[in-house]
Amino acid sequence: MDEKEMNCTFAIVGGGIAGVSCAESIAFLAPEEEIILIAASSLIKAVTNMVPLGKTLMQFDVEEKDISVLMKAHNSLKIINDFVIKIDCLNKQVETRNGRIINYKMLCLCNGAKPKLIEEHNNFILGIRDTESVLQLSQKIKNSRRIVIVGNGGIATELINKVDGVEMIWVIKDKHISATFVDPGAAEFFMDRVYKTDTHVYTNVSSLTKRMRYTISNTPAVTGGPALGPDWHDNFDIKGVFLKSAKIQIEYECEIIKILNKSEQKELDATEEWPIYVELTNKKIIGCDFVVSATGVIPNSDIIGLEDIKKSEDGGLLVDWKLETSKQDIYAAGDVCSAGWELARHWFQMRLWTQAHQMGRYVAKSMVSKLKNEEFLQDFCFELFTHVTKFFGYKIVLLGLYNGQKLDNNYEILLRMTKGTEYIKLILKDSKMQGAVLIGDTDLEEMCENLILNQLDLSIYGEDLLNPDIDIEDYFD
Amino acid sequence: MVVRQYQEEIKYLEKITETCWKIKKGFQPNMKVEGVFYVNNSLERLMFDELKNACRPGAVGGFLPGMKQIANVAALPGIVWRSVGLPDVHSGYGFAIGNMAAFDMNDPKSIVSPGGVGFDINCGVRLLRTNLFEEDVLPVKEQLAQSMFDHIPVGVGSKGIIPMNAKDLEEALEMGMDWSLREGYIWAEDKEHCEEYGRMLNADSSKVSMRAKKRGLPQLGTLGAGNHYAEIQVVDEIYDKWAACKMGIEEKGQICVMIHSGSRGFGHQVATDALVQMEKAMKRDNIETNDRQLACAHIKSQEGQDYLKSMAAAANFAWVNRSSMTFLSRQAFAKQFQQSPDDLDMHVIYDVSHNIAKIEEHMVEGKQKTLLVHRKGSTRAFPPHHPLIPVDYQLTGQPVLIGGTMGTCSYVLTGTEQAMKETFGSTCHGAGRALSRAKSRRNLDYTDVLEKLERQGISIRVASPKLVMEEAPESYKNVTDVVNTCHAAGISRKCIKLRPIAVIKG
Repeated sequence: MDEKEMNCTFAIVGGGIAGVSCAESIAFLAPEEEIILIAASSLIKAVTNMVPLGKTLMQFDVEEKDISVLMKAHNSLKIINDFVIKIDCLNKQVETRNGRIINYKMLCLCNGAKPKLIEEHNNFILGIRDTESVLQLSQKIKNSRRIVIVGNGGIATELINKVDGVEMIWVIKDKHISATFVDPGAAEFFMDRVYKTDTHVYTNVSSLTKRMRYTISNTPAVTGGPALGPDWHDNFDIKGVFLKSAKIQIEYECEIIKILNKSEQKELDATEEWPIYVELTNKKIIGCDFVVSATGVIPNSDIIGLEDIKKSEDGGLLVDWKLETSKQDIYAAGDVCSAGWELARHWFQMRLWTQAHQMGRYVAKSMVSKLKNEEFLQDFCFELFTHVTKFFGYKIVLLGLYNGQKLDNNYEILLRMTKGTEYIKLILKDSKMQGAVLIGDTDLEEMCENLILNQLDLSIYGEDLLNPDIDIEDYFD
Repeated sequence: MVVRQYQEEIKYLEKITETCWKIKKGFQPNMKVEGVFYVNNSLERLMFDELKNACRPGAVGGFLPGMKQIANVAALPGIVWRSVGLPDVHSGYGFAIGNMAAFDMNDPKSIVSPGGVGFDINCGVRLLRTNLFEEDVLPVKEQLAQSMFDHIPVGVGSKGIIPMNAKDLEEALEMGMDWSLREGYIWAEDKEHCEEYGRMLNADSSKVSMRAKKRGLPQLGTLGAGNHYAEIQVVDEIYDKWAACKMGIEEKGQICVMIHSGSRGFGHQVATDALVQMEKAMKRDNIETNDRQLACAHIKSQEGQDYLKSMAAAANFAWVNRSSMTFLSRQAFAKQFQQSPDDLDMHVIYDVSHNIAKIEEHMVEGKQKTLLVHRKGSTRAFPPHHPLIPVDYQLTGQPVLIGGTMGTCSYVLTGTEQAMKETFGSTCHGAGRALSRAKSRRNLDYTDVLEKLERQGISIRVASPKLVMEEAPESYKNVTDVVNTCHAAGISRKCIKLRPIAVIKG
């Protein structure tokens, strides 16, 4: 391409939610400053259709946009389709695979994370993380009869929900499904949908609640491209042809201990022949067409030139409250970073779209403020954990210490549930609300958000707080 | 709460006019003055049903019926003449929503209570007029709503938001709409049509906690969730042609924009901080109340003064917020119709606050007094010729803006002399709801879920509907009943009815 050496005020690495949110926010806050965003894929992620559900809580869609669309919208933003190979902190330079040298004043690393795989370089094990891996999945699934899904987080849950036409064995290490996000009670609430026993209701709910505007072009995806956004499965056909509908079996409280290869499988007294077999901690050996590994991510923090940057135990780049790393003028946001400041009582880090977006926005503010030498405050979104997602066609709102995190089982649950409609779980400690799980259309988001932040004593209300006959929406206004 | 038989309770209630009931002393302990509440027939039934429910054995809960809350306020130190329940009164934290009360500034025992203002400080309604008509807007309704949705920010830093840093926030807290004016977001005449000219002078941002500032910072110029909304409305009915004319409303079909919003998280934090301080002050100063939620402090105490100064900052915050949305609405209309907001005659008709405490002069039982008037879910409704209302409305009385619940009708009323005599120049604020409202019959079934949850070893309580009535009555206080009651009681006059054609909600 054109110039070999480029200059900018802000260089951003990564075209995922964090990187794009960061670039857009800088363009808004300091339109006069040059920004260069280096993205591995020619498609980047942009957050659209934001709907605030409360003050810090937001629901949004993620759209894949072509680089040119974003560049057109912001004059000061240049996006280059390249791959970073080295960072020179001393001279403030980024070196790319195509031989570009980018001089920056401030650098923001938003290069995400990669899926943890049970076994590397095995064609029968697939990690789901980016657009490319989903394309692979949708192709593979067409010729499959049975797959094993490992992991109990959001991606695994959505796969179980969305994949159709094959037999699925879901291997989870917890006592209940979707443990990363919900408690055993909510998992039970979902069971009908998991086994798709109420398909009628299900299709209804799902078509009513979807508000998707998500388009994808046919550009081939590149390995190392940005992570998927929420509702990623809407664009892909992840339907097998073997069965009319999905068949699901859940293996609780176990993990894969061993992957058996062709020669080992011979020793087994197998009546059926499968391309791959897995051995579980519960002694079962299961054969399948392939394994989907959705067991979390590892931050992409290994970049040449950043060997002596401080990292946290999980491998993320340690950042302070300004989202600055241990190297001056190098910031990090999204999945690649690990929160290294003293966390607020009702916040913790989880590598989610929500936090990638919040961090992307905030790191822009932080860097621009430093450049302009302006005073700024930490964004309030780091005071309260919030996440909105959709499982099995229900809206899921998670607030604060929604699963009693940090509370050492020393708390109380206040519950309300209407089968097939709503599941409300409030976490109370010393009669003060610490967290909430709101499933379905509860309209309680803003109230719960305020009650967690205000730490109001709720002892006098007791169970009446969720009395279905009391309309409490504006009581605390 | 004093628990008596319902038949005993109603002995303390007396109907004094067609639309007004009196709550006599003794209904709750230590009542210093009497209570009153305004109802029509259907609202009356709701109020009494609610009381009857609360008298059932085992019904004692955290949620008090409206009448009990009005009576508890009548027991606060320094209260003057009467505790007033407006027709939309319903259960709220501390004061009921729709309860107003005034405290004598010259009585050292008088108190100020955050529960009498509400958490969403200076939540209020603003109405903009246009010279457009329904037929101009209907064909482009969708585009206009989308354009407003794009312009009125619905989140942190989203497109169109008004950039603000920590220093801007400090200034906005002190200056209110003078800040918006200086930054070029509003017109000078907008201020004329706001209570207090959109700025409370006693605001002191140094009394506001860092947490409140952090909580408020990302939210200026954003609409908010919950019951907040912006609506494009059509004039549906004109009851008082002359007064409507003074407001620039000429005929049916004219388009207006209503903005309903407040100080959001900022106000919540200010109120929360004050409640904590006041609980301590109450112990120190031996202030006793019937309800712990009625935390308060002497007006003259440090805590009382600090609260009033930070409340004023939150009020300024809310005005700046509504002003930012005014700016963005004008932009959206200008873009859609390719005319300047000026050419579209997009003036602010008025802006009311319905969660606020203010110092006002009133005649009480023949004597002039300086009072701290708490209005929670209640709107100021000053009569013609009152010195605090703008020149344009000197002859009509102050416009009172009543937002329905989102999607229903809204009203413009005018203030009356009767309100000055009976309710410290106050009227209703919107719709209301009663405690016994059952949203829908629910089928609560916990068995499977509880079994799973109990394995965690966490104590669990479940919500269950208390047996309410054999037949759950319609317990929603709709805005038309509420407004008609105020009109019949004479505490405000109906002027205009508006009907929404598009709602912009976060």
